Amino acid sequence: MTLWLTLAVNSIALGGLLFLLSAGFSLIFGLMRIPNLMHGSFFMLGAYFGVTLLDNRIGMNFWAAALVSALAMAVIGGLVERFLLRRLNGQELPQVLLTLGLSFIIADVCLMIWTGDPWQPPTPDHLRGVLQVAGVYFPYFRLVIVLVAVVIAVALWLMVDWTRLGAMIRAGVDDAPIARVVGIKVSQLFTLVFALGAALAAFGGVIGAPYLSVYPGLDAEMLPLALIVVILGGTGSLLGALVGSFLIGFLYNFGQAMFPDLAYVILFLPMLLVLVLRPQGLFGRVMT
Amino acid sequence: MATKALTLHNVDAYYGDSHVLQKVSFELGEARMLGLLGRNGAGKSTCMNVSVGLLSPRGGSIELFGEPVTTLPPEMISARGVALVPQGRRIFKSLTVRENLIVAAQKPRDNKHAPWTTETVFSMFPRLSERKHQMAAHLSGGEQQMLAIGRALMGNPRVLLMDEPSEGLAPQIVAEVMATIRKLKESGLSIVLVEQSPKLVFDIADDIVILNSGRIAVTESAAKLRDGSTDLAQHLGVF
Ligand SMILES: Nc1ncnc2c1ncn2[C@@H]1O[C@H](COP(=O)(O)OP(=O)(O)OP(=O)(O)O)[C@@H](O)[C@H]1O
Ligand SMILES: [Mg+2]
Repeated sequence: MTLWLTLAVNSIALGGLLFLLSAGFSLIFGLMRIPNLMHGSFFMLGAYFGVTLLDNRIGMNFWAAALVSALAMAVIGGLVERFLLRRLNGQELPQVLLTLGLSFIIADVCLMIWTGDPWQPPTPDHLRGVLQVAGVYFPYFRLVIVLVAVVIAVALWLMVDWTRLGAMIRAGVDDAPIARVVGIKVSQLFTLVFALGAALAAFGGVIGAPYLSVYPGLDAEMLPLALIVVILGGTGSLLGALVGSFLIGFLYNFGQAMFPDLAYVILFLPMLLVLVLRPQGLFGRVMT
Repeated sequence: MATKALTLHNVDAYYGDSHVLQKVSFELGEARMLGLLGRNGAGKSTCMNVSVGLLSPRGGSIELFGEPVTTLPPEMISARGVALVPQGRRIFKSLTVRENLIVAAQKPRDNKHAPWTTETVFSMFPRLSERKHQMAAHLSGGEQQMLAIGRALMGNPRVLLMDEPSEGLAPQIVAEVMATIRKLKESGLSIVLVEQSPKLVFDIADDIVILNSGRIAVTESAAKLRDGSTDLAQHLGVF
């Protein structure tokens, strides 16, 4: 019984991290049609920034480290979009190749700087300990991850669906030339979305570090998960990303515990089913 | 001589290799209405596209109240007070009616007129007000046209360009839209009204420009053309 609960808690914690990763991926792909294959790299590089800031030599506060890392990654993401991806507007294959190439470069640079050893910062003091409910123990930290993910999900949803800024972004997606003609600075907004996606991934990377640790290959492990989440949930749909993330969190943890040999089948099968039966994803709108 | 609101001077425009506008020049006077006529494919929409910065002319120049805007991108031309009601309306379909308006809101550039806001647009088009929380995609053709006009007005423009606002609308709705345009003209806005049929334009416009295959064929005051003594059929087809 407790094993199942532990698995469930781990699942929703992973789901929270996956949401931070895939929300940006989904917005970037859904709104700007950029298949950003360096999204896993944003997660990993952000995590490396974070563990460096958390290291004894600097000893930054956990949340401050996550924010600083997110900010740094926003700048890097913004630069990549503005100076590289912008030149490949609407050309998907070159965009795939560029982002894939950059992800290899980042992986190598990370290996050089942070070596091949895993880094695992301790769980911050104030988030240690467990919550005991009806004889079952829930580690605080994992609950906090979920809470943060849900808060960010609501904030993103409010921004995209209920603010003027969000409406301007959607207008730019609907009809970019006319959006510019009515005065919307579409190009700046798209850079902003890309930077925001990068920042969210980095934030997730730092928050996840005490739990997942940071090591070479983390990028390549996270990217397919983001892909599955977004295909399951539907591109551009934040609700889809949220539901997809928790779904994959559960499939991943339970799959590995119960059918370790089939873990990948269990992960990818639902994606295949969705692609065949409902290509727009569970919550996606049909693209025209 | 009074400053002109919008001037195209010897504009040459291309789509790829096809030379679509050839030395096109015309002037829109301040607080006047210019009717831009021509057959299918004559180059009317292309004139609109170069005026709002969607297409860069390869030759010639464009001026707004005496200032060159020839090479500015669309968002900067919009910031200087040019608004377009595009052909085919092109409202933002996945936005609500109200969102279509607020994304286009800009501060007025002078305080000559009461500024346009969602409230003033809604009081001009009560039917939009009733549907303000609906997705714009669900509006009827006439309502979409009103929304496109409202959206353009939200920018508090000094120059309003309207590309075939009557296209595809039932006659009764066309009459409503024309009444609105007349009101806008009376408010002192400088307007270019593009149409294929001169009937709609002759008695409302001050000046008429007729394009034929990318060249200016006629530039004349509407009053002179109204009497019918000038033969326009060769430029406009049968009407
Ligand atoms: N995007 C484009 N690419 C290539 N050619 C174009 C493009 N848009 C228009 N053209 C061509 O340019 C010429 C002028 O087109 P334009 O749209 O300006 O005509 P118009 O006077 O607005 O016609 P209509 O009354 O049908 O709207 C036409 O021959 C048209 O086929
Ligand atoms: Mg046209």
